[in-house]
Amino acid sequence: MMTVQLLRDDGWARLRFDRSDKPVNLLDGATMASLSMLLDQLEADPPAVLVVESGNPNCFIAGADVAAIAAVTDADTAAALAQQGQSICHRLQQLSSISIAVVSGSCMGGGLELALACDRILTVERASTKLALPEVKIGIHPGFGGCVRLPGRVGWPRAVRMIASGASCDAKRAMRISLADLCCRSGQEQAAISCLTHQGKRLSTATTPWWFALWPARRLFFHLANRKLRQRFPHLDLEASYPALPALLGLLQEIYGMSEGLALAREAESLGKLAYSDSSKHLIRAFFLGNGLKKHTAPAAAGDSHCAVYGAGVMGHGIAWVASRSGSVDLHEVAAEPLAHALSALANFDRTGGSRLAKIRPTLCDDGLHRAGVVIEAVLESLEVKQALWQRIEHLVAEDALLLSNTSALAISDQQQGLAHPERLAGLHFFNPAPKMPLVEVIAGKHTSPETIERVKQLAVRWGKFPVVVADSPGFLVNRCLMPLMAAAFRLLEAGQTAAHIDGALKCYGMPMGALELADTVGLDICHHVGKQLSDAFGARMAIPDWFAGMVGDGLLGKKGTLGFYNWGGKQPVVNPAVCAYWAATPAVDHEFDANLADGSKAMAADQVVLACLLPMLIEALRCLEEKVVADADQLDAAMIYGIGYPAFRGGLLHDFAHHHRLDDLRQQMRVFGLDGSDLLVGLAAC
Amino acid sequence: MTSRTIAAPNGEDVVIVAGVRTPIGKAEGALAGLDAVELGRQVLRQLLAITAASPDAVIIGNVIQPAEATNIARVIALRAGVDRAVPAHTVHRNCASGMQAVTDGAMLIATGRAAVVAVGGVESMTHAPLLLNDSVRRALAYWRRARGKLHPALFRAWAHLLRSPGFFKPRSALREGLTDSTVGMNMGQTAELLASDFGITRAAQDQFALQSHLRAHAAREAGLLDGEMMPLFVPPDFNLFDRDEGIRPQQSMAALAKLRPVFDRRLGTVTAGNSSQISDGAAMLMLTRRDKAEAEGWPLLGRLIDWRYAGCDPARMGLGPVFSSHRLLSDHGLTMADVARVEINEAFTTQVLACQEALASKAFHQRHGLGEPVGAPDDAQLNVWGGAVAIGHPVGMTGARLILSLCHQLKVQPGLGLATLCIGGGQGGAVLLEAG
Repeated sequence: MMTVQLLRDDGWARLRFDRSDKPVNLLDGATMASLSMLLDQLEADPPAVLVVESGNPNCFIAGADVAAIAAVTDADTAAALAQQGQSICHRLQQLSSISIAVVSGSCMGGGLELALACDRILTVERASTKLALPEVKIGIHPGFGGCVRLPGRVGWPRAVRMIASGASCDAKRAMRISLADLCCRSGQEQAAISCLTHQGKRLSTATTPWWFALWPARRLFFHLANRKLRQRFPHLDLEASYPALPALLGLLQEIYGMSEGLALAREAESLGKLAYSDSSKHLIRAFFLGNGLKKHTAPAAAGDSHCAVYGAGVMGHGIAWVASRSGSVDLHEVAAEPLAHALSALANFDRTGGSRLAKIRPTLCDDGLHRAGVVIEAVLESLEVKQALWQRIEHLVAEDALLLSNTSALAISDQQQGLAHPERLAGLHFFNPAPKMPLVEVIAGKHTSPETIERVKQLAVRWGKFPVVVADSPGFLVNRCLMPLMAAAFRLLEAGQTAAHIDGALKCYGMPMGALELADTVGLDICHHVGKQLSDAFGARMAIPDWFAGMVGDGLLGKKGTLGFYNWGGKQPVVNPAVCAYWAATPAVDHEFDANLADGSKAMAADQVVLACLLPMLIEALRCLEEKVVADADQLDAAMIYGIGYPAFRGGLLHDFAHHHRLDDLRQQMRVFGLDGSDLLVGLAAC
Repeated sequence: MTSRTIAAPNGEDVVIVAGVRTPIGKAEGALAGLDAVELGRQVLRQLLAITAASPDAVIIGNVIQPAEATNIARVIALRAGVDRAVPAHTVHRNCASGMQAVTDGAMLIATGRAAVVAVGGVESMTHAPLLLNDSVRRALAYWRRARGKLHPALFRAWAHLLRSPGFFKPRSALREGLTDSTVGMNMGQTAELLASDFGITRAAQDQFALQSHLRAHAAREAGLLDGEMMPLFVPPDFNLFDRDEGIRPQQSMAALAKLRPVFDRRLGTVTAGNSSQISDGAAMLMLTRRDKAEAEGWPLLGRLIDWRYAGCDPARMGLGPVFSSHRLLSDHGLTMADVARVEINEAFTTQVLACQEALASKAFHQRHGLGEPVGAPDDAQLNVWGGAVAIGHPVGMTGARLILSLCHQLKVQPGLGLATLCIGGGQGGAVLLEAG
């Protein structure tokens, strides 16, 4: 296996990363070892110019070996790992040669830290060229000296923002923010290198604004950064959930003005603590799960760059926005008013000054279908409407166009009935809001061909989504697991818990939204509709209480109608006090649950609320696994994280419950809440 | 009426397989949120959506060419998703720019240089720029030479500005564009000249203007305009805009009589009410060879038979249609009676009335050495669905709109159609077509 090689040519040397066994270059153990060996040679006989480059134009170095970080079991090993990287970067920096990193393709984490240790960074303009320190996304912070060296390049305020957000910048922007010394087009590298050679060794350049040197200003800056961070997760205890974020800010604040050696030592120490935290392990797991979903085999089909979306409702225009990422979109709708609403909403998404919105053509008829490679429907949830649509447009589109249904509960096989080419119809279920939620469920009907499924997966990945293939059963995977959660929340309401308490408990647990807030966001009419279909299919465990129908009947529709469990009229949603009347009429003893639930006089403990809501979801998830609705537990966990926002720092629903709860405790709790299906819990053992 | 099959003078038979236009908005009106590029992009993309034909070339007429989109046709084509291998160019013949695009496209096809051409006209008179005085440019040039230092050029810059009073007053590209610099007359003033030449009264003009509104309104209410129109969702509110904004069903002689003449305050007859409106809009057509359209099964909207452009006195540019129509019809041995529908663009009603008179006048023809008159169109032939007085006159678009409208009119009233318009600078353009 080849990882890195040293090519010498009088006075010049090239340190070339070129991984033979993997598609990307990684700073793993083997690479580090050979790098260290090559540095010995370089130190013994330093060349005048050292070029650090990659043999792969689309990947400079993708970062440190995440699997190795995940395998760390104690803080000292982790710190040692960081120190090893730091020492290599330090030795590179200390070389007497002029070192130039030629960054072409992705340059992430450890890769960028290595480049930062060089005298000069040259970026090559390519779509794949991205520079970032994304470590916070996996629950750690840069550990090879990135926290120390980045501020020296781009200035402290920008460095803090860059590391804390993990955001990437492209080749041109890297030069603009003086992260890179020069940016060139591909093919110009040699000229650029000689240009940089003439500039010689790096002299420290002041890019930090003057006010940062003042202690109060600096203090205020970090204070504001901290506050902004906590506003992003208002309900979470950051030290427990995402410890890397506060630790990072603390570290950066501490090492300002410190000598390099000391600062590096602090960085390694702090990283050591984070790397073996649960949060980091879980975030790495979520990262790997997401990557797993993105694998696909189909090549891009030519026609897929033009897409027609039917229905301009919230889902429809959201999907149109997603599809406009990689081509033009026709947005079909029968009436002008929803279309006008949709376009206004899309204009708000658009941060490109209208150029992305310009890819979306609104239309009130079936024109333009002959150019569409993909048709996605997000029309009314009614089998008749959808079947009529497919039968009408089937002959207007090209022979090989994909027909995709964004249904949340209607069977794909039913929609295939009566079509001349049912094999090209599949389900592609987005989650609300479609531009933000990364997961899509891909559903094969009875007649859907495997090629179609592969093409849909490929399409979803191109749109930046994580596709998970699920069975064509009612509610598919995510909605089916969500429904028991909502039903449980409704039972808690009946038992006298307040909406704010239930949602608050769930949000403190890490869910992005409470169950009732979610119901409001989805729309109570849609919840009711889905609930009815699911309870028809699966019985009482999905049943939505009768009073819920009353709410929908009275026009309480949730967010879209401003009133639901919350009042959405103001800037912040506030609990709608009037809705209590709906379930107050229901005698609380309706459910023969434990007194614990029925006793509405006092608020339940938050962890009890969370368990009462999540256990039914867990049981349903296990049932889905048993019924093979989804291929395996990992995909299920990924679906929960990326589809409903199950907290990533907990590593996924099944993983979380399998590793952090005892089976007997869970059984006991289920008895307390009066839930059945505890025999399914044994399935957790395999997760 | 002669037989309907008139051979094209040479080359291939050119047909129109699709056409679409925006509803026309008043300047600073409903379409103010879209600039010329955006208007053109939306229409071209719609054109590509309603037809299976893909163009080999794009030609677009535009008068007030935006500084940020030089060769606006190319910018529109690329933004609308036309393949980058397809060339595009912009044409300019003032009010006939849209017609020029159509005839240029037809010429490409007739001579076998392209098979399918997307043609049309686009104009956003709302976005006509305001210009800085030339002395400001001069001063800025000195300023730049000084490079921020105390340099003699700096003083020359100031001296230059101080010597040109009113340097800060912006110049309106719209106003100056509508002025003929060779004769120093505004388009309205040329219309006034025709009114006095031909003794056309204010009442006759107002009557014609009223008829234009009533006819446009009737056509719209009957749904006759639906076939050519696309709905637009205009930012920033994205409200639906699907009707021409300028048509006034309640227009009356009394209301028209109240308006003051614009171009000659004391003695004039030309008012805002009996002139075309300043507007925004775009229209596009897809042209191809007849045999190709038939082989592909594309529906035929119309067939372009022939066209002529002619020059005349710039001070009487409104008579352009007389010269161009006369040449076109007499070259084919036709008279006005052989034509089912005629569109003379209503730049000014006085100019249309003058054309009618001149077309029938033997004396006028003799004076200009034109031979026998081809005759004037009567009321039942002329501008039956209303004209620019009611609908609006986005200068670069109108030529294409007239042809598109005629195609639809000839479906109702089969026969030959003549679209003709006057061109600032003293020209006329005329296109002869028939239903597909």
